[in-house]
Amino acid sequence: MTLRVEHKEQITQEEIETFYEVCKSSINTEVASYLEACVRCGLCAEACLFYMGENISGKIDPSLTPAYKADLLRDIYKENYTLWGRLKKALGLGVKIEPKDLKEQVRLAFYTCTMCDRCTKVCPMGIDTPRLVAILRSALTSAGLVPEDLAEATNTAVEKGSPLGVDVPTFLSRIDFISDEWEVEIPVDKKADYLYIPSSIELMKYPSSVASTAKVLNHLGVSWTLSTKAHEATNFGLFTQSKEVVKELLRRILVGAKELGIRTIIAPECGHAYQSMRFVAPNVFPEEWSFEVLNVVEFLYKMLEEGKLKLGRKVIEEITLHDSCQIGRRGGVLKEPREILKLIAGEFKDSVEFPEKNICCGGGGGVVVEHDADYHRQKAFLAKAELFDKVGVKSVACYCANCMLALDRGSRELNRDYRFVSLIDLVAEAIEEE
Amino acid sequence: MIDVKAYDFVRGPLLEFALYFFFAGMTYRFVRVIFLGLPKDYAKPKGNPLAKAVEKIALKPTQGWRFFIEVFAHRGIQYVGGFLFHLGFLGLTFFVPQHAFLWKEIIGFELPYMPQLVADILAYSALLSLFALTVHRVFNPVLKLLTGKDEYFANFLIGTIIFTGLLAMRWSGGGVYVWIITLHMLSGAILIIYIPMSRLSHFVYYFLSVFFYGWNVGKRGVSF
Repeated sequence: MTLRVEHKEQITQEEIETFYEVCKSSINTEVASYLEACVRCGLCAEACLFYMGENISGKIDPSLTPAYKADLLRDIYKENYTLWGRLKKALGLGVKIEPKDLKEQVRLAFYTCTMCDRCTKVCPMGIDTPRLVAILRSALTSAGLVPEDLAEATNTAVEKGSPLGVDVPTFLSRIDFISDEWEVEIPVDKKADYLYIPSSIELMKYPSSVASTAKVLNHLGVSWTLSTKAHEATNFGLFTQSKEVVKELLRRILVGAKELGIRTIIAPECGHAYQSMRFVAPNVFPEEWSFEVLNVVEFLYKMLEEGKLKLGRKVIEEITLHDSCQIGRRGGVLKEPREILKLIAGEFKDSVEFPEKNICCGGGGGVVVEHDADYHRQKAFLAKAELFDKVGVKSVACYCANCMLALDRGSRELNRDYRFVSLIDLVAEAIEEE
Repeated sequence: MIDVKAYDFVRGPLLEFALYFFFAGMTYRFVRVIFLGLPKDYAKPKGNPLAKAVEKIALKPTQGWRFFIEVFAHRGIQYVGGFLFHLGFLGLTFFVPQHAFLWKEIIGFELPYMPQLVADILAYSALLSLFALTVHRVFNPVLKLLTGKDEYFANFLIGTIIFTGLLAMRWSGGGVYVWIITLHMLSGAILIIYIPMSRLSHFVYYFLSVFFYGWNVGKRGVSF
């Protein structure tokens, strides 16, 4: 059977039962702790960029509160794992799910949550709402209720090797183009220590990032390569929370990396790519996944620390930073981009008091590909723009191409004049000028 | 003499039952969650998960204030009211002079107790805070959506306890006093029974939830 995720228009009892069963079977000690600990204080709403964006527009949409998003899951948990809930169920007073409830869950879990983790930081009980939303997404995906655009991109990734349809011939032709255009040597399928895996967003929309990474790697003189088997870093399985898709996309990377004798994988400027390879893959392939995984920014910082990379030239007057949630807040790469920017910018102005406080781009978690989520994404951008305006800098460094895409789009749609630049592009420029 | 009989019943068998029910119920709820189990995580941590878990259990409530300006602007009542309410309610439960003999019966020794004036101030501030928090729940759109019967019942019950405690201490005498103190103890016993069946048990889950939060913070190598 072909591996696919589905987008169904009709919701029947079968879909409802599948959703219910997946939610029920996803409960463990950690999840139950989060579901039990919520005190309904709603402080998480004030940290959610979707809620904040509505507020900036003068509206209040309480349904955007993160705690509310997990309520159906909480009800399912209670009636299966608590005495009182079981009793209510036995008396016929259990959870009743209607098709409209699942449609609402699609809006709550897919359109209005990027799983950015900001709500977790504000929550006095430390409830990891992205974890709960991931379960809801998984249940909706199992029921065949993936948003149409996201389902299409995910299936294209499985069938062709990339959500943008970049198959091996297209990949090779893009690499040829980048190599010629930026005059940089790019090794493909060579035995090497480092495997750099770009994302198709970079290949197709921000090719300079790929060229810049190649320039920096060549400059450092490390043994590196690209792989035709592991040519796509993004993992749309994480967006849909389909375990099968996650595994298949990671399997390709595993095969490609093993074949080339790779020791370290350099994840590109892509949040979910890093998240999937650094934190998910070891659990999907516990015995085989033996690679060190570094985000490209993390790798650059390591080279700086080891004295192999020197950055002294200023390539931009003043700049601020947008953090990728999956690489930064959920991935631990927060100090690194700041330290690098301090070296290559005349003035680095942080837009937040502490790095974990930064606001998501609004397009993470697959939201940027879902047209039905455009309204919410645009509202969320207002919360982000408020940060940029507060710091008063138009140039914004990014270390995730998906963020850059969402921010570029939001900026255009709302007639703003911010300039989003890839951090690796700036580093490559700094090296060239040396 | 019915008033004294009622008092004796509440003070004796009902309170004893409530306490046994509370401990059995809370133990069951805690153990039930623990026994659900966890999948093994093979991803190499970037920091020290256990150290962060312990740190967060100790410090998480204070670290929420790092978002103070942003959140306080919209939720000042919750911050101030929540703090005063918890301080008052917990302070009174454990350290009010009138409860000292009760704690001696339950745990075998008397807890230190606060001066009556401090107890009075805490009681009034807790009661007013609870009232403000309840009104806030009714009118704030987010809280209105999140609030169910559970929260309103718990607030009513706790309000009754504090109010009758104050009445008994300062505003009643003679025969009425016995009824007021009986009502105070009855609502207390009901609360003790109600805690394991409601979200009021959050104080136990705090340790689990924040432990996992801290563990993940350590795993990801972030500081907050």
